[in-house]
Amino acid sequence: MSMPTTTHCDILIVGGGLVGCATAWHLSRLGFKVLLAERGHLNSGASGQNAGSLHFQIERRFLEQGEKAAADGARIVSLNRLAIEEWKGIENMLGRPLDVAMHGGLMVAETEAEMDLLAFKVARENELGLQTRVLSGTQLHHKASALSPNLAGAAWLEDEGHANPRTLVDAFADGARGQGAVVQTGTALAGLSMQRDRTYRATLHGPDGEITVNTPRVLLAAGHWVPRLAGLLGLNVPLYPAPLMMSVTDRTEPVLPFLIQHVGRRLSMKQTEDGNLLIGGGWPSRLAKRADGTPDLDRPAIVEPANLRANLDVGARVMPGLAERSLLRTWTGTTCISADQLPIVGEVAAAPGLFVAAGGSLFTLGPVLARLLARTIAEGAAPEELTMFTPRRFAHLDAFAVLP
Amino acid sequence: MKEAGVKRVEQGVTRPAPVAVELDGAPVMAHPGETVAVAVLSTAPRFRDDRSGQARGMFCNMGTCSECTVWVARGDAPWRRLRGCLVPVEPGLRIRTERPEA
Repeated sequence: MSMPTTTHCDILIVGGGLVGCATAWHLSRLGFKVLLAERGHLNSGASGQNAGSLHFQIERRFLEQGEKAAADGARIVSLNRLAIEEWKGIENMLGRPLDVAMHGGLMVAETEAEMDLLAFKVARENELGLQTRVLSGTQLHHKASALSPNLAGAAWLEDEGHANPRTLVDAFADGARGQGAVVQTGTALAGLSMQRDRTYRATLHGPDGEITVNTPRVLLAAGHWVPRLAGLLGLNVPLYPAPLMMSVTDRTEPVLPFLIQHVGRRLSMKQTEDGNLLIGGGWPSRLAKRADGTPDLDRPAIVEPANLRANLDVGARVMPGLAERSLLRTWTGTTCISADQLPIVGEVAAAPGLFVAAGGSLFTLGPVLARLLARTIAEGAAPEELTMFTPRRFAHLDAFAVLP
Repeated sequence: MKEAGVKRVEQGVTRPAPVAVELDGAPVMAHPGETVAVAVLSTAPRFRDDRSGQARGMFCNMGTCSECTVWVARGDAPWRRLRGCLVPVEPGLRIRTERPEA
């Protein structure tokens, strides 16, 4: 579709990943005139590169940073409970199969110290209404005989599982288009300024040339590129790139109906509907570099062989049968973490009408965050569930911003 | 219905005399210089069925997509899972599109 060189919309969404397309879906359904601009093609960033875990237990990355971070991680549990309901209804909502499998998840432990950590975690989760429970090594082996008999035990949550990251974003984008949203791929945000009346003027570079967009609202939903885009307005969003690695084996008969994580080591493991085993868990890859040695966020990150070996080693230790499989490929994807590890979702204090949404674990949390963010935008106020993710907690970073 | 194999270009092409390989228990002729993937394609454009039961072929023919993965055995050596597009045919090579009995 060819666009006029100057256009107007109710909201410009920058980023055609899960958060951008899902928010476009919700807002177009509410009657908003939505224009979504994606620089590459839909789902080409972290939304399509992650391994599709639906994980609702408190994450290992919070537990390994001491009690303060564990407490912060616990605050996300209330959102995880909403995410469980969101995923249960998502195939009906979008009207197509998305390989959503919620047959349960196990966060395993190998040592007694790790079992103590699981017990601490489960007690906290239960207080917050998440029905995790601790399984002994014997109970674990009974539930999942493919796992190593040497494991000390696990935390079990029956709602965990996985979904297909390759199909979800298309489902949201197709639905949004059907509701009247304009979704433009190959279209980059090249300029963004706030006008004297506090509306925004954006310059897009697309396949048909330059487009000027006048809009009262902008949502930056571009993952680890959000800080760069916020920089167009002189604003600071404390998100940092986290380049990771994922691997897939050949297909085999069904052996693993559950999502597997590890409380003490980086590991996620699951079996897809087609029978392949997917292995990840947060092992770093390496950012590409520019000629001057600075990180190049526009090129894929590079596989780190030592981390790949370590990732597969821990996978095979947890599930010995993994060692018999053939590795088909390993790929990288770059997510991001915020300064306090929690996603940053909501309106930016210094720039009314400017919204951001990014920050890690956003496959699991993306659909529910998009729903809550759309409510925030439509109602002009954030629902209580979003308050802990507000960009306002970093408002001090914009103390020296110059805006009209 | 029996599937038709993919046809070789014949016009203006000369090939060495074919050799016999064994594909899923039946003899198949293939020319030296061709790959295991070609031997499979010459009988049917199918390497497996996808989960909806549809025939699924190969995609890249350059060792990247792994869609042509088959089981291959040379002589009495054990079965190995290999990408058919990277393995040249040789006389007596055994190929299985399904997992062989151990």
